[in-house]
Amino acid sequence: MMVPEINDPEIGGPNTAPVGLAPLSAGRPRSKWGRVVPNVILVATSMFFLAPLFTLARYSLQNTPTILLGASTLLKRWSLKPLTLAFHEDFFWSSLKLSLQLAAGTVALTLFLLLPTAIWVHLRVPKARALVEFLTVLPYMIPAIALVAGIIIVKPHARWFLNSDFALIPFYLVLALPFTYRSIDAGLRAIDLRTLVDASRGLGAGWFETIVKVLVPNLRTAIISASFLTAAVVLGEYTIASTLLKRTLPIFQREFVSKSSQGGYALNLLALLTTTALFGLISVLTKRRDPKRKSFARMVAAATPTTTATGS
Amino acid sequence: MIEVITTDGGRTDGAPPTATQGDAPRARARRSWAWLGLVPFLSFLLLFLLVPAVSVFLDALRADDGSFSFSAMKEAITGQNFEAFKFSVTFSAGAALVGVVIGTLLAYAAATATRPRWLRSLVSSFSGVAANMGGLPLAFAFLTLLGRQGVLTKVLDAAGWDLYGGGFSLGEVPGLITVYSYFNIPLMVLITLPAIDGLRVSWREACANLGGTTFTYWRRIGLPVLAPSLMGGFLLLFANSFSAYATAAVLTQNSKIVPLRIGFFLGGDVSIGTDAVGFSLAAWMIIIMAVSMSLYWLARRRAERWRS
Amino acid sequence: MTTLDYISVRKTFGALVALEGLDLDVREGELITLLGPSGCGKTTALRIAAGFEFADSGAVLVGGADITRTPAHKRNMGMVFQSYSLFPNLTVANNVEFGLRTRGVDKATRYARVRQMLDLVELTPFADRYAHQLSGGQQQRVALARALAIQPQVLLLDEPLSALDAKVRTSLRDEIRRIQTELGITTLFVTHDQEEALAISDRICVMSQGRVEQLGTPTEVYRHPTTAFVARFVGSMNQFSGHVAEGGSVDVIGRHVEIPKARAFGNGTPVHVLVRPEDLSLDAAGYPGTVTSITFQGATTLVGVRLDVADNLVSIDVGQGEADALTIGDRVSVGVNGANAVCEAA
Repeated sequence: MMVPEINDPEIGGPNTAPVGLAPLSAGRPRSKWGRVVPNVILVATSMFFLAPLFTLARYSLQNTPTILLGASTLLKRWSLKPLTLAFHEDFFWSSLKLSLQLAAGTVALTLFLLLPTAIWVHLRVPKARALVEFLTVLPYMIPAIALVAGIIIVKPHARWFLNSDFALIPFYLVLALPFTYRSIDAGLRAIDLRTLVDASRGLGAGWFETIVKVLVPNLRTAIISASFLTAAVVLGEYTIASTLLKRTLPIFQREFVSKSSQGGYALNLLALLTTTALFGLISVLTKRRDPKRKSFARMVAAATPTTTATGS
Repeated sequence: MIEVITTDGGRTDGAPPTATQGDAPRARARRSWAWLGLVPFLSFLLLFLLVPAVSVFLDALRADDGSFSFSAMKEAITGQNFEAFKFSVTFSAGAALVGVVIGTLLAYAAATATRPRWLRSLVSSFSGVAANMGGLPLAFAFLTLLGRQGVLTKVLDAAGWDLYGGGFSLGEVPGLITVYSYFNIPLMVLITLPAIDGLRVSWREACANLGGTTFTYWRRIGLPVLAPSLMGGFLLLFANSFSAYATAAVLTQNSKIVPLRIGFFLGGDVSIGTDAVGFSLAAWMIIIMAVSMSLYWLARRRAERWRS
Repeated sequence: MTTLDYISVRKTFGALVALEGLDLDVREGELITLLGPSGCGKTTALRIAAGFEFADSGAVLVGGADITRTPAHKRNMGMVFQSYSLFPNLTVANNVEFGLRTRGVDKATRYARVRQMLDLVELTPFADRYAHQLSGGQQQRVALARALAIQPQVLLLDEPLSALDAKVRTSLRDEIRRIQTELGITTLFVTHDQEEALAISDRICVMSQGRVEQLGTPTEVYRHPTTAFVARFVGSMNQFSGHVAEGGSVDVIGRHVEIPKARAFGNGTPVHVLVRPEDLSLDAAGYPGTVTSITFQGATTLVGVRLDVADNLVSIDVGQGEADALTIGDRVSVGVNGANAVCEAA
């Protein structure tokens, strides 16, 4: 067990000791009220957050109308079949394919554009940092619905470009920008960029080689986080896709509900689970890899997300 | 081995002076050229973010004859449109308030938990995930919970509380607030946890040492120090709620909130008004978002100051 | 009479015993330092006095009154924390008057007292500044003013200098001592820095693993350490191996050294002998050895010598004149003055 002095948050690491409670002491009974309220809050909010997930699963996978739900019917007529209903639709496969392609394309473009830029800012133009940071926050100020309004205006002048499904890619990059740039930026700050680059170039490697062979391996966590984030955004984006009449997976997700209620809901359940898995993976990866424990949650907080995954 | 003794810890080691004043023109020029490296990024943003955004304003400020005019912008905040803004602002503020209160309490509960040890970590990770949930799946999930045929609706009905009979709807203020809280609360937790961590134990102890009770502490130190973070959180949640589109689109078919209104307009609904009016809605939305986020950023700066 | 008494105070944290029955009487107006390494219990003892921890058993008395179970905010102690204890949202003046406000003191009196306190710590022009605008040393001075403003019965200082730069540390510690003597306030000072303790204390209480090793004046603790722990912790020590011989002497690597403290051990007992650098000298009739290092320390020079006989590395305090004549590799002889040496069973 840790020695009291070392445990003292003033001496040790970050302040991990309880803050607002009465003084920690084995000799004095802690006020009962101190723990009741926080515990109630924790339990109540857990219920709030789990309830919709359960009811979504129930609706999708249990073939019982809500009216007939009761203690006796609760465990009957469950089946995984509704999850597969979507697979019979051609549109599902075409939209899935498109969304995956868009995700891959956006990830690629993001890394291709942001990695060199972030590196350049760190190494050559440190004064630009403030400007670039501001610019990466700009997409928050121009939400998806407003952005797509602007796209519509510009459309007549760029019909050749906007007609392609892949025109979505740059706009998706913009949507995810606050997240992805912060992620890469945080990754760069965690490594000693200057030294690595100097060492690599001093040994004769060119810029491309340096980035690919030296920096990327050291930025694995940041790159993976940025990629997963982008993928989650793209796979969930609805606003722009629907306004521009592109046929992506979220579009199908919505339409299918009208066609097959359980199938549609089940598909949305799948989507939810996929997003959760993606973010959960990021969380796990960032916690384990980064010795400084710049957890994913903290990174998300730093990126001040406006729910890009709502497709808003 | 010769040891070099420096008297200042080796900080000034005889290297060429940091190139700031009296620079060789060549060094300065080299630095200016460096900005060119940002061209790809800047032009990308210009093309895909700024051009659409500016176009919105250009079209919003255009009169029928093509000249510059504020009339569309004005019309966009009158009548039905004004009601929409009012509605949007109201429920966004409400959602933000709920998010701030519950989120802060949750963050506090998690930050001060000693047993079990993994609780804080769990809340933190979960918040990181939940803050980004939203859009279609979330809306559908809530439909199964609180929709007309939702499980909870039926349970409450059986218990005697006719939800929908009383005017409740997921598309109205209470419903929207409930659904949006799903990502607002975690978001608030994420940005508040560090702020609560920043409340040093020594402040609490010093306050007690000087005769202050728990109430004194929160009133004179705790809450004032947290205030910028709370304010910032409110602004962020407000902006977040105001701009959400996809979730709302599933929950309601009406055009009561601004994003949906814009959506309908873009989809060809002419009841909104002329083109200019439609785009004015978007322009006003951008303005509101820009103001909120700027204030948020200011509040963040203020909060950081006390954290160092 | 503002005395502070610990009576058999015992404190455990789960399985860990932080304090094993501490008995300590702090006299009125005295500055006692609790000195020891991390984990010795010194901070726990201080926090028990402040009321942030409660003793499992035993009593704490202030001026004779039992405050063992009194909540922290009802005690009349002033405390200075290690760092970052100033309230960040309040100005310096508001910080200093905080304790007065909670006690309901009226505005005029508060104002006067704040001025008085700020003058005492020489920070009067800083009254309207905020904590983040002050240096570490200035912050601690404000913390001191804040603690003293309430005119406490006892002043508690929890390693107040540890987080500061070396230069600031020395000047601030002297200032603390000056103010403490001027006000005559009973003070308990916690530190792990023995130099600090020696410099400012009336008495030092050396602690280790929840127990008091020695309680005495700085001179007593330094010159006459009663245990090997104290000997090693306060100041630096050279260590030799040897066997106890007749009449208060020890056979140290072949030579007889007169060590009065050896009398406590039986004949022939193997012991470690601890000798201070200043009790060694370059004596022609001593142990032969080779100079391995010369460290200039300003007032004295520390010479490291590797002894031939036992491969010991000893440090010798040498005056300036002698030091100038030495270079690394020189052959020298080391003499031992055992008058103050401490023995411990090997």
